[in-house]
Parts: sequence; structure tokens; C-alpha cells
Amino acid sequence: MQTGPLFRLESLTKRYPGVTALDDLTVAVPRGLVGLVGANGAGKTTMFRLMLGLARPSEGRLEVCGIDVAADPIEVRSRLGYMPEHECLPLDQTAADVVGTFGELSGLPARDARQRASDILDLVGLDEARFRPISGFSTGMRQRTKLAQALVGDPELVLLDEPTAGLDPVGREEMLALVARLGTFGISVLMATHLLDDVQQVCDHVLMIDGGHLVVSGATESLLERTGVVTVDVGSGREALITGLAALGMTARVVDDLVDVTIDGDDDLDRVRDLVAELGLPLHRLTTRSTSLDEVFLRRAGESS
Amino acid sequence: MPGALGGGGGAVYDRGYRPYEGPRGRRGAATFALFKASVRRALGLRRSWRQKVAPFTLLAVVTMPAIVNIGVGYVTRDQLTDRIEIITYRDYVGVSSALLLFIAIVAPDVICPDRRQRVLPLMFSRPLVGIDYVAAKVGAIVAILFAFSFIPQMILFIGNMLVSDSALDYFTGHLDVLWKVPLSVLVLSVHYAVIGVAIASLTDRRIVAGASVIGLFLVTSIASGVLVGDFRPGEGSAAALINVLALPLYLRDVIFLGHIDRGSPLGGVATGGLFALVEFLAVVALGLVVLWRRYRWTEH
Repeated sequence: MQTGPLFRLESLTKRYPGVTALDDLTVAVPRGLVGLVGANGAGKTTMFRLMLGLARPSEGRLEVCGIDVAADPIEVRSRLGYMPEHECLPLDQTAADVVGTFGELSGLPARDARQRASDILDLVGLDEARFRPISGFSTGMRQRTKLAQALVGDPELVLLDEPTAGLDPVGREEMLALVARLGTFGISVLMATHLLDDVQQVCDHVLMIDGGHLVVSGATESLLERTGVVTVDVGSGREALITGLAALGMTARVVDDLVDVTIDGDDDLDRVRDLVAELGLPLHRLTTRSTSLDEVFLRRAGESS
Repeated sequence: MPGALGGGGGAVYDRGYRPYEGPRGRRGAATFALFKASVRRALGLRRSWRQKVAPFTLLAVVTMPAIVNIGVGYVTRDQLTDRIEIITYRDYVGVSSALLLFIAIVAPDVICPDRRQRVLPLMFSRPLVGIDYVAAKVGAIVAILFAFSFIPQMILFIGNMLVSDSALDYFTGHLDVLWKVPLSVLVLSVHYAVIGVAIASLTDRRIVAGASVIGLFLVTSIASGVLVGDFRPGEGSAAALINVLALPLYLRDVIFLGHIDRGSPLGGVATGGLFALVEFLAVVALGLVVLWRRYRWTEH
């Protein structure tokens, strides 16, 4: 089991003529499933290029999987997998050939690369299509092929750039399920996206950047603050519950056939539960509502600008 | 039975994941892998039969003179005191210049799609740098050109040996062929491959690259022909050096004869062989610089 942070940025700055893509970023990110969140132009792609050693920082230092990228970019690249957002597959080749070749390019012997290509294409659900030319693949199949080529070298960390881009809802769910499973294989993930729902669904750590600045970095759970509202599903007993809560001096309202109750601490939560029991209502659900990552991002980005 | 995670355009099956714990190479392994993939692509291997037609037809074409030469030698082996030699080993290097057509087709096919289909970011996310990429691509084309030029010559050599009165005498009498031929075809292969790959690297459209390769050779040939004009043996002109297509053949003359053939457009030019060598080195260096700059993927 690898220890230490997944990557560490120390005053990392990247300037291009006329623009600062990343500005003095300092953060250490733990291993696991990490979301890299930011709007278009926030600096996500620049971050990936720096991590792959394909660009050099203007200032500062970057360490990936315990290795100084500037000192040994080749070693870093041998431990990473990369799935770009854009189309990047040779269309006239089969998935098996492409993934096998990229396995060899990752340093695997030819026989092992072919075997792993077969295994990984099975894993991503392309076992039956692996001998078909990629030109005939749907968007979802191409995304899976891109993921397969990123995984074939058994990376320690895989960089995913907008992995759900262009996918239909079913394809998106499947891709996110695959990404979520990578963590159980011991593979860390850095998933760049502007879809905060995707991050909230699969990532256990979030790194938010905006205009090249670090907005926030933290565990997903810790960022999702409680809103002071609980949602109660009591079926058709909504009005009875609202009346009872009003008698207790609590505010409640119906939202989408559910009852949203404003509470002030765990005691109020107990009072809601007891009232439901007292009224003999069926309690299908009682959940505390948290802020979404969208709300966190908008608020923190507003604070930092 | 594995579990399916979804439906639609194809289900995602849970087949588990096995970490890789075997040997793992670095730049050398990645470069060799790219070299192999490029050779496969150039020869149409693991691709449809249509992709195999051009390379293997050209191989057949450049092998034909050797077959004919051996056939004539065999048929007339008991009839003539002096053997009929349709083509010499030196001339045969000139036949290989027909592989220019191969370069115009294959170099763009090996280079352009990587840029056009934006595969380069995937490649350079591996333990590979720009120089490795150039080495693999140029190396693949050089290797195929060398093989396509050398194999017919070896067929000719072995065939001539077998139809001669004494195979051993023929072998010992032609030992110089065993170094002159490979050196000549290596010069030709490197020259054509570097020019072809460098031109192809400047565009992502295969047709443009192919036309540019042929155009360069045609234009320089015609320009050289016009400037040199009619000449008598031994009265050639240094303007012959403009002809990029013929440049390896002047070096072939130096390798086989020790000097430029008097009958060639460069014949009679003082230190013509040296000029040809300098130009060859300059062209190869220029091509490699162009390639290095085009694939200098990592910022400096």
C-alpha cells in the first residue's frame, strides 16, 4: 500500500504569455478518488500537463506519487495513466490493438500488454467489441476505450479529464461506477470536471480551482455543510405533521411531496421523530439536507475573488 | 456469472482487476514498442488487405529485376561462355530509388494520423520523449526501406551464386558486395526516410504530405536536369547536387567505385563525392532538426 500524499504542490505557478494559468498553489492531496473542479479555463488541463511533466512550472514545485516531477518526469509518467477529454484514438485500429500498443508504450512486455489489454477491455465492458475498428464505436465505447488505455499500464494514479463528457445518462452512470471502482483496485484517481454532481457522487476529496487560484481543498464530506433543514417523508400525512410541528413552534413546508423542517440542533431532530410516532404516521425517510458542491464552489469562489 | 452494471450501448461487466507485477521497461522499451507499431502500420499488418497492397506490391516490383536476372542466368547457364548480366549490384541500388513512391505513401500514413487524430498527447503521457518518438518513426521507415532494398539484392546475390559454375568461387569473388550493398542501401534508406518523415511531420493531412514528398523530388530532379543540361561523360556539373532524389546514388558510386561515375551528371566535378557526402549529412541533419522541433513535446 502506497503512503504519503497523492500529489503535493508548493507555490506552484504556471504563466503563459499574457495569462497566469495557475497562481501560487500550495496544497497536499491524499490518495484516493479526487475531484479537480473548476470552470472552463480554470487551469485543470494545465495542472494535468504539469503533473505529466509535459510543461514546466514557472515557479514552485510539484510532487506526484512522491516523485519530484521536474527531477524525473519519465518515472512519474510510468506511474500515471491519462485519459484526455478530446478524441484521441486511432480510428482505423481495433480497441485491442490500441490498448495493447499503449500497454507496450507503458513499458509492459508485448505478451503481457496484449493479455492486460484483453483483461482491461473486459473490465470496461468492451470484451465483445475489442476486435472492431474504433471508427464504428459509439461515444460511450470510445470513452471506455480511452479509460482502458489509461488503465492498461496498471497506473498508481489515473488522470481523467471530463470522463463523462458527451455520455448519455446511462453511459454517465456506468462511467462513474467504473471510476468509483478504481479506488477499490488501489488506483488513485484525479478527475477533472466541471460537473460537480459527478464529483459529489464518486470522489472522497475535492480540489477546487478558479482562474488559476486554489478555492478550496478538502474531504468531500467535510465540504458538504449541513443546512439546518431535514427532509421528512411521511406519505400522505404531510399536513398533519406540519400542523403538529407548528404547535411545537417549528417551521415546516411541503417541497415535492416531502416535508422540509427547519431545525436547530439534534434535539429538534428528536422532536420531529417523536411527533411522527405520536401521530402514528409512516416514516419513510428522515434525512438531513447538506449543501451541494455547487453551492460550496460558488460561495468559496466568491469569497476568494 | 459476472454482474452487469448497465445496459444500453454495451454493458459494463464486473470482471475484477489484477494489478501488474511483472517487468516494466522505460524509454527504451517504449521507443521499441512504438517502432514495432510503426513497422506494423507501414506494412499494413493487423490492418485490412487493402493496406497491405501498396507495400508488398512495391516489394514485388523492386524484386523483379533480381528474379529476371537469375532466371536468364539459369536458362543460359550452359549456352554462353560469358554470363548475361541484366543488372549489376550497383545499378540495383538505383532500382531501390523507386521506393520513393513507398515513402510518399507510407511516411505520411505513419506520421500524419498521430497529429490529426490527436494521439500524440496519449503517447507523450507515457515514458517517452520527442526524440524517442522521432527515433521510432524514422527507424521504422529506415528499417523497411533497408529491408526492401537489401532483400532483392540478397536474392540476386544468392541466385547468381547458385547459377554460377562455382558457388564458392562466386562468393569469394564478390565479397565486397557484402559490405557495399548494405552500406549503399543504408545511405539511401536514411536519406529518403528522414526527408519523407520530416515533410510528413509538417502537416496532418496525408495527401498533402505525400504530394509534397513527390513534389520535392520531382522539382529538384527537373531543376537539376535543366541546369546541368546535356553533358558528355566526365563533364557534369555541381548543379547535379540539387537533385535530392539522385543524391544517394552519387554516394553509391563513391562506395562501389571509389569516385563519382563519369557518366553521371556529377561526373567530372572535382571533389563531387565529398560535396555529395556533405550535402547528404546536411539534409539528414536538417530533417532531424525539423523533426526534433516538431516533436519537442516537453517544454524547455
